[in-house]
Amino acid sequence: MNLLLLGLSHRTAPLELRERYALDDPQPALAKLVNGPEIEEAVVLSTCNRVEVLVATREPLAARLRLRSFFERELAPAEAHRARELEGALYELHDADAVRHTFRVACSVDSQVVGEPQILGQVKDAYRAAFASGACGPILSRLYQRAFATAKRVRNETKIAERPISVARVAVQLAEQIFESLDEKHALLVGAGEMIELALEALVKRGLAAVRIANRTPARAAALAARFGASAHGLEELPHLLAQSDVVLTCIGGHEPILSQVAFAAALDERRAQPIFAIDIGVPRNIEPAANRLEGLYLYDLDDLQGVARANAEERRREIERAEAIVLEEQQRFDGWLGALAAVPTIRALVERAETIRASELERGLSGLALGEREREAVEAATRAIVSKLLHAPLAKLRAEQDREAGLAQLEAARVLFGLDAASDEADDA
Amino acid sequence: MLHTVTAACYLLAALAAAAGLALRVRAAQRAGVFLLAGGALIHAAAFWQLHTLVPTPSLTELPLASSLMAWLAVVSFLLLHARVRGLALAALVAPAAFLGAFAGALWLGVRTGSGEELHPILAHVHIVLASAGFALLGVAGAAGALYLVHHRAIKAKRAAAQSALPSLEALDRANGAALALGFTLLSLGVLSGVLWVLESQGQLWPDGVTAKHANATLLAWLLYAGVAVLRFGKRESARRAALQSACGFALLLVAVVGLRVLP
Repeated sequence: MNLLLLGLSHRTAPLELRERYALDDPQPALAKLVNGPEIEEAVVLSTCNRVEVLVATREPLAARLRLRSFFERELAPAEAHRARELEGALYELHDADAVRHTFRVACSVDSQVVGEPQILGQVKDAYRAAFASGACGPILSRLYQRAFATAKRVRNETKIAERPISVARVAVQLAEQIFESLDEKHALLVGAGEMIELALEALVKRGLAAVRIANRTPARAAALAARFGASAHGLEELPHLLAQSDVVLTCIGGHEPILSQVAFAAALDERRAQPIFAIDIGVPRNIEPAANRLEGLYLYDLDDLQGVARANAEERRREIERAEAIVLEEQQRFDGWLGALAAVPTIRALVERAETIRASELERGLSGLALGEREREAVEAATRAIVSKLLHAPLAKLRAEQDREAGLAQLEAARVLFGLDAASDEADDA
Repeated sequence: MLHTVTAACYLLAALAAAAGLALRVRAAQRAGVFLLAGGALIHAAAFWQLHTLVPTPSLTELPLASSLMAWLAVVSFLLLHARVRGLALAALVAPAAFLGAFAGALWLGVRTGSGEELHPILAHVHIVLASAGFALLGVAGAAGALYLVHHRAIKAKRAAAQSALPSLEALDRANGAALALGFTLLSLGVLSGVLWVLESQGQLWPDGVTAKHANATLLAWLLYAGVAVLRFGKRESARRAALQSACGFALLLVAVVGLRVLP
């Protein structure tokens, strides 16, 4: 079984491109992918920072073509120059590299803000969605279980998450560079999703004077507001709320920006030049990028946060190295398991072949001898022991090979040397 | 001697503050502020000693006036620092204070034993008030310059998550407070200067070599009056206020120091 991962992320694609390929609901895509003959198992991970598809396949070349076509034709059907714009943005990882990448993503080592905890929840959601739709089989299930275990190890054994710099934390730290204290400040959060909830938690901890939540569905905003002592509003109140807010954080669905430059200009005018700090973590973006031209507005989007996060990267380098070592160890363990899984049919065939030969030769040899029951059992035990000892070394070697390429070569050699394929052809003919 | 020790203290403060700002080490920045405070105490002792030796020291002499301005700037900074978290300002105030104190130390070294010079009391009132105003407007200008640097970094998305610079709001508050007090003192300084000229020359505006200084100071005062009206009356944006403070102080520097030093 081969593993193949295709995707684009904040490392290879700008926000404008990522937002065009983001998936709200991966279920239909999963169904399409596993319905074809090329792909046996699939998981789709779509977050603000990445869109990745990981598949298990017996036909890697066909699966590769299928995934390329999936990105180029199905994910963004309205685009005229899909293939060209994906050049350089789309990366492709195979087998061990795909496993390692998946582990790194789950551990937040590959995140825009290294160590942020949200990504693990997003990976779990992607796995659950695939599992629920029947797209995730034993290989990817095992892979994701190991990914979650690796993430847990990394959190426990390194300090990568000791001071997690989540998007929300970065937002708060940046706000503190603009405002002397957040105690008397008012915050407006647009949206009611997980990111908003995390941001809300971080902001409430800093003791803001007032927090307002605006959402398309006021009921969801109300439920969130009730938990954090905030007030809930509808989106139609935004112009009015904007003028009262020092910090604005948006993360809401929709293909068009909901806050324009004009809206901010009016709010700043009303605030008599008091500045506004706006963080737009929505994908697609919720605030018109041109609004940053306004003098009193400091606007940061997801890619801008990457710049801030980079400053922390150096401090975390050592912890990341330790996390990478854990990831590598776990990846090798998984690869060993996958290799052993590939060796199972060969091992089974080898044992069956040896047993067939032993049984037939024993039968032929004993037929001319008048042995008692005890003697027959002794001879049978001796032949079993000989076969078992002869096979022990090659079987152990086949099971233990960690390197995937070398393992496949050994399996091939074993099949040729022991004539396993010929034996299976004979069995089929019979 | 005390002036020399003061200058050394300010120099060390400048080095510590600059290193703290460049390397983002808060301990070095704090050390800079402590050295400035220590320097200010020694500076005060130096002026007290000077006063006991010469009851009316020649504050009309630029080097000594510079030293007084430096001391007042450091005191203003320390008072502001108690209200506004502006450690980074020390990196601008300390070098300026060093230059002022060093000029005073050099001048006093040359003038030792040269005798007393008596000046009318109005001249001293003018110089003390104008120097205090100059010092505070210098702090406002420094806060404004730092504001512009920090604003540019945040706006251009070059800000680090943890910056060594104070928040924009803190810098704006420091700028506003220093501007309000500095402009008031400068106004009183200009008024006392007019009275001094009236007393000594019998006219409202001076002639000869001091005319250039008086004209440039009046221009700077008018500029600051405009800045104060825009800042406190029309509530102009913090960035523009910072820009005006920095430019205003540059003009004031030319008016007070440049016209005397330059040919």
